[in-house]
Amino acid sequence: MRLFNLIVSSVLASAGATTFAAEGAHAEAGAAVAHHELTAKAVELWNIGGFPITNSMLVTWIVALVLITFAQVATRKMTLVPSGAQNFLEWLVEGLYGFLEGVIGSELVKKTFWFFATIFLFILWSNWLGLLPGIGTVGYGHTGEHGFQVSEPWFRGANADLNMTLSMSVTFFVCWIVWALQANGPIGFLKHLFAPKGETTGLLKMLMILVFLAVGVLEVVSIAFRPVSLSFRLFGNIFAGENMLESMANLVPSWLGRVLIPIPFYFMELLVGIVQALVFMLLTAVFTMLICQHDEDHGPAHH
Amino acid sequence: MTGNIHVGLAALGAAIGVGLIGAKASEAVGRNPGAATKILVQSILAIAFAEGIVFFAIFLATKAWPA
Repeated sequence: MRLFNLIVSSVLASAGATTFAAEGAHAEAGAAVAHHELTAKAVELWNIGGFPITNSMLVTWIVALVLITFAQVATRKMTLVPSGAQNFLEWLVEGLYGFLEGVIGSELVKKTFWFFATIFLFILWSNWLGLLPGIGTVGYGHTGEHGFQVSEPWFRGANADLNMTLSMSVTFFVCWIVWALQANGPIGFLKHLFAPKGETTGLLKMLMILVFLAVGVLEVVSIAFRPVSLSFRLFGNIFAGENMLESMANLVPSWLGRVLIPIPFYFMELLVGIVQALVFMLLTAVFTMLICQHDEDHGPAHH
Repeated sequence: MTGNIHVGLAALGAAIGVGLIGAKASEAVGRNPGAATKILVQSILAIAFAEGIVFFAIFLATKAWPA
């Protein structure tokens, strides 16, 4: 009986202690999160004649500047046997070219490589640059009860802004239409969407025309949703990643917890950064390949 | 704690889908290591389509978007 009492009391005591500790931690974490919340919209830093400059745009320009400068520096003194920066750039471009060639074919990659390589490198480096300390933590703010709080950070991950991802996918969509019209012609483009495929005759042919007309309407809807899903996917991944890093940093309100707990998630975000860049490039490449494929390619006679 | 039950359901379904694709992709690489690059491309595409559902669910669930 005494043993039972001892167990019960110790369980109760420990339960009480945990509840108390949990409540304390929760209250503090709640207060910290409320102050550190990442806004869904990019913060407007300046407004030049009605044209807003947001912190995301600033990072976009920095990434573009870094990429352009690196390409210029690496190709300034070109040698036949590359070394250093030129070697790295050649490895990167040749690797990407070979990879895309395997996916969309050697004909198409010649025409569209500039777009896909740019998209990939830009998304990759803006994702990785967004992970640097200082992005989202340096900026204007005010001193509150919890010390100094940043309310208007100067920098924000470029793809954590829906405007950026949406403009990239709309640009792709315009390119896609141009390439599709170049490859098929206006009539061929419509035929590609609506015309029946396969060889049927008679009554079955009539049925097939109706069926493929309906399929074409479905396909147009799915094509129209591609820019939306492309931009939501990239924005959602990067924005959620930034949010997660912030919540993980605020999970344990001590400097050791702030430093240690986000580290595994930083590695995950590095992975997400390259995977999302790869996904965006691959999806756009495959969409282009699907519309530019000719029906004749199926037969070996035309090769 | 607040949230939307259909975002949770979408996340559950997408997680199952991504897991199935990943399992099958690694199985395929195990069977045929030479085709690893092709399998990677296929599986990344399939995973991207599967996880896209969650983002649609999230954005359609948020009434006050953009906040």
